Amino acid sequence: MCPETSKKAEEKTAETTTIQHLIETIKQLQGEVENLKQELRKARSIPSGKIGFAFAVPGILALVAAVLNNSTILAFIGLGLTFWGALFFFVRPVRYVHGSLIDSTALPTYKTIDRIIADFKYKGRSYYIPPYPKDVYLPEYLKGLKDPVVFISADTGGMPSLEELAKSKFLLANPNGICVAPPGLGILTQLEKELGKDTSKLQLTELCETLPPLVVENLRLAGELEMKFEENDVYLRIFDSVYKSLYAGEEKLKSVHLLGCPLASAIACVLAKASGKMVTIQRIDTSVDGRAVEVRYRMVESQT
Amino acid sequence: MNFPMTMADISLWLAVMAIILLITSELVSSASAYSGDVIIEKKRLRLAALALGVGFMVTVIARIFYPF
Repeated sequence: MCPETSKKAEEKTAETTTIQHLIETIKQLQGEVENLKQELRKARSIPSGKIGFAFAVPGILALVAAVLNNSTILAFIGLGLTFWGALFFFVRPVRYVHGSLIDSTALPTYKTIDRIIADFKYKGRSYYIPPYPKDVYLPEYLKGLKDPVVFISADTGGMPSLEELAKSKFLLANPNGICVAPPGLGILTQLEKELGKDTSKLQLTELCETLPPLVVENLRLAGELEMKFEENDVYLRIFDSVYKSLYAGEEKLKSVHLLGCPLASAIACVLAKASGKMVTIQRIDTSVDGRAVEVRYRMVESQT
Repeated sequence: MNFPMTMADISLWLAVMAIILLITSELVSSASAYSGDVIIEKKRLRLAALALGVGFMVTVIARIFYPF
């Protein structure tokens, strides 16, 4: 056999293998699409609404029949069914979204910050700056001090002055760095809404007791949350967080380790507000399987 | 064509429903490890339970002033 023919045969075999592999991949993907469609169908149907109807309609009919026949038993049955039907409508599930959607929406923010840090060649730390309480009066030119911000320093230099912070600027010249809105700002607002008060009015020891159940049970952002307060350090352990994939993702985001995931960032904001001190993330460790995340915060006195 | 239930019947019904709902709402809101996946408005359930409890108490107070 001439070498040209054998080369062609080899190419043909390789092509056939590639096509077979592609067909297998397509079949696998089609299977995944079907599974996702089924999940979507399940999620879209609201069972409690249907159950509500199933209870309320016979209940009302039973009540009408009770009045027409003057029957106490039918009245009890009708009242019970109507009530439970109404209750099923009243306590129907709130709209839930898939957990993976939450971290994917946070991804662009971190990618943008990553680009900024890479572009400016910043090698410093992030400092969560405590904002002024909302109910404190400040003149118009100082209103910027009420916004929670995180300062990313260019190097290990000093802290920005109050004047610079009050201007709500993005790029700061002295010291070099940028001021951005913390990724956990939305969660911070939600936490304060659930607590029913400004976190700046809380003691740090109170936070260690109130925050974990709030995050785990009310907001359901993590499976477990442990918080320990040690002098100027705060140790946080988050288990099974909805944002766990941000730490272990293929993107290898630097900003996640600098600012923390939105949950870790929100807790840093809370700590800064409650202590009135700047909070910096010392280190973030993730477990091998990526389910547990340990964050160490340090509260530093501001030298502005 | 009168409604076939007396105030005493309604009072009894309110009491039974209030007890059922109060126990349910307590179990659902406190034992989070078991009830964490129950995706209903737990606050509303508690509200409904308390409303029924208050309704029953109203019928009891009404019974004191206007015995039925």
